[in-house]
Amino acid sequence: MMIRESQIMKIHYITAIGALFVVAVHILMRLIMPYNMSLEYENVIANYHNIPYAILLESILVLIAIHGFNGLRVILLELRQSKAWEDGVTVLTIAAMMGVIAYGTRTIIVANGLGFE
Amino acid sequence: MEKMSDRNNREGVKGWLNPGRYGWERIAYWLQRLTGVGLLAYFVGHIYETSSLTQGPDAWTAMLELTQTPMGHLILLLVIGMSTYHSANGIRLIFTHGGKGLGKPGRPDYPYDAASLNYRQKSGIWIALILALAAMLYGASVLFGGH
Repeated sequence: MMIRESQIMKIHYITAIGALFVVAVHILMRLIMPYNMSLEYENVIANYHNIPYAILLESILVLIAIHGFNGLRVILLELRQSKAWEDGVTVLTIAAMMGVIAYGTRTIIVANGLGFE
Repeated sequence: MEKMSDRNNREGVKGWLNPGRYGWERIAYWLQRLTGVGLLAYFVGHIYETSSLTQGPDAWTAMLELTQTPMGHLILLLVIGMSTYHSANGIRLIFTHGGKGLGKPGRPDYPYDAASLNYRQKSGIWIALILALAAMLYGASVLFGGH
């Protein structure tokens, strides 16, 4: 399935606006208590046990991974143009995006389960 | 017909970074890209950093000892500035790509200033830079102020 570049740019902008809101909430969660205290293990794990917050973290992960790796793809396509380069860049950025999402999701799932055993 | 691969007019990174072209808009263009790449690198590093949570409190504390240092805080300040600039300038670009704030096309008279590179665009770039500075100052008060 081919997606037009104009459709990819719409996805790029929608993920950017979505990421702005969820990252703002993520930062506010670091500021509702003294910054150093918010980074203590118990407090961070408590965040991951909060299901709405875990969903928020997953949405940050997906939105920024899509936006970030598509941005990298756009930059690399501006630098060089050929069929092989464009295909290679697209495949590599999609693979990297999926790898980062998978690794981050693993952290969210495992941290969400910690302390429940 | 000339093949695309035979063309020898690619400037690559040199053309991308040339600050002599188009003034502030060009600087805003490459700042958007540099901050984007920097933020992507931080994002990947942050995913790795938080993954230490899954190895228990000791691994998390060891990671904090590595990142919650004056140098770590300086990097975080840079990330705050980069993310604020990237967001504010990105919003300007979304409007610009939608045709907002570009002005009306006019006859190209000397000195051939493009109508699209108008005060609205320049104001947007300055607002992004000022917001980034303000966010970095607030970040510094939180990270170094002991709040």
